[in-house]
Amino acid sequence: MAAPQVHHLFHAPIADHSFSSDKKTLAVARENNVELYQQSGNKFALSDELKGHEKTVTSVDIAPNSGRIVTCSQDRNAYVWEQSPTGWKPTLVLLRINRAATFVRWSPSEQKFAVGSGARVIAVCYFEEENDWWISKHLKKPIRSTITTLAWHPNSVLLAAGSTDSHARVFSSFIKGIDTRPEPSAWGERLPFNTICGEYLNDTAGWIQGVAFSPSGNALAFTGHDSSVTVVYPSAPEQPPRAMLNIATRLLPLNSLIWNGETEIIAAGHDCEPFRFRGDENGWQLAGSLENKAGEARGAREESALNMFRQMDLKGQAQADTKLKSTHQNTVHTIRAHEEANGVVSSFSTSGVDGRVVIWTA
Amino acid sequence: MSQINYRTINIDALDPESSANFPMESLLPATLPQAASASDAANAATQVRQMLRGGDPEGALRTVLDTAPLGGDDRAKEVHLATVIDVLQGIRQGEMTRILEGVCSGDGGAERADCLMKYLYVKLLCFGFQERNCLMEVRGFDCLSIDYRYKGMSSAAPGSGTQTPKKPVSPQDTGFSQIQARNLGEGGGGQQMSVLLSWHERLVEIAGTGSIVRVMTDRRTV
Repeated sequence: MAAPQVHHLFHAPIADHSFSSDKKTLAVARENNVELYQQSGNKFALSDELKGHEKTVTSVDIAPNSGRIVTCSQDRNAYVWEQSPTGWKPTLVLLRINRAATFVRWSPSEQKFAVGSGARVIAVCYFEEENDWWISKHLKKPIRSTITTLAWHPNSVLLAAGSTDSHARVFSSFIKGIDTRPEPSAWGERLPFNTICGEYLNDTAGWIQGVAFSPSGNALAFTGHDSSVTVVYPSAPEQPPRAMLNIATRLLPLNSLIWNGETEIIAAGHDCEPFRFRGDENGWQLAGSLENKAGEARGAREESALNMFRQMDLKGQAQADTKLKSTHQNTVHTIRAHEEANGVVSSFSTSGVDGRVVIWTA
Repeated sequence: MSQINYRTINIDALDPESSANFPMESLLPATLPQAASASDAANAATQVRQMLRGGDPEGALRTVLDTAPLGGDDRAKEVHLATVIDVLQGIRQGEMTRILEGVCSGDGGAERADCLMKYLYVKLLCFGFQERNCLMEVRGFDCLSIDYRYKGMSSAAPGSGTQTPKKPVSPQDTGFSQIQARNLGEGGGGQQMSVLLSWHERLVEIAGTGSIVRVMTDRRTV
């Protein structure tokens, strides 16, 4: 396994990151702005800044085909940024929310995006040609608390959402004139807007921090603040799920997860390193960390006697033990597939509170 | 009407949209067992104590965790808490790790580990209130009264309400007073606390920090 590629961008938390489809551009949410980095050699250099939000930017997503960037922030706004000859041009989105926007993702069709918010709604946004703006429709119904995370089904109609009311839900975000009628699936057959296709709570509850559909869209995984990962296999519309499997780990809570094929999940969080889970409908297990443990020896370098006594004099200890053995030095917020083909991830990227973006071989 | 002090009205309670009115029962899973009554808990206690006397501490711990009244009323939970603490104190230091490994393995082992962690934290919470001389009611019953009853220092009827603790009360209730902490360390409470802490240490070795996190998120309280 190749060593992970570490890009230490700055000393500030990264709320979210996104790569363009050619992997040359990296967008990173840093405080009130979004910074764009361009790859030069094997490094990423700051190339542009998207300024416009007045409060912390909470999420950023680059559409792989159109290249449009959507950002959302605690100032309750979302912007769609498009490249023009004079630079990146923002378009305001009419979100109609009265609390912070927390999470945004483009649908796979790139015709829509969904914004989660603290106002207990999900704004599903689409472009209206006549007025030349992005407008939104609200998914409101059984949400009882802040939406923390969202994930799209491959058909661009179904949307999974995790919330601080400890429920993961699957909604239909079908919008007439934008979406084509989806194929009937285990989630539902007729799917008008705001159909609830599933509502899941695991035994130990906990705020949901990450959700993801499997590549086929026929299974849903979510993770929350109870240090567990739950995988749901739906059976038929309006029926209880065929299987709902909970893996209670001995780790600190996991924040974000992705599927790698139908039988593997990679998740990362407060333990600062990614973990692999394997299984199927009959059961799931934690398979181990993706951190290369052989690299641990690197940290313990030979200390000279002079240095040892100097340390003891200055700090009262021979060795300053302030470095974690993991690649990330703080909580991982986001994990995203970097390179994938047919749902199989060959590499993925993580970012977190330590200001690093790391690209891993899956 | 002019008597109402409008500044003391809790406006959150009147707003249905307020987070203060979040329906906590919506966090309880559908798999929650039927509410057990206090007499069920007492029956379980007899059975468990028999096993403990019969020299089967592992079986006793396993049974007491499997029969935890997750959906029970407060009285049932109170009785069961005392049984769990009895079992934990009836097991010798040297045997803790071996018994824990047995109890936390096999079918439902992870649930038993999480359940034991919940009991440790509930009991430690009671000590916390006791230390601060605080007669606060946790979950509708008084921690102090159950603790004193448990040690046989009080003959009060169960749930008869508050009791004055039999230790010196510091003039200021500002919280952390060294003298009080030391008193606790010498008394019986401190000994019980140290037993619980060594259980906690060994349980974390087996069930990890994830188990502690789940004590905080899980609404199926014990």
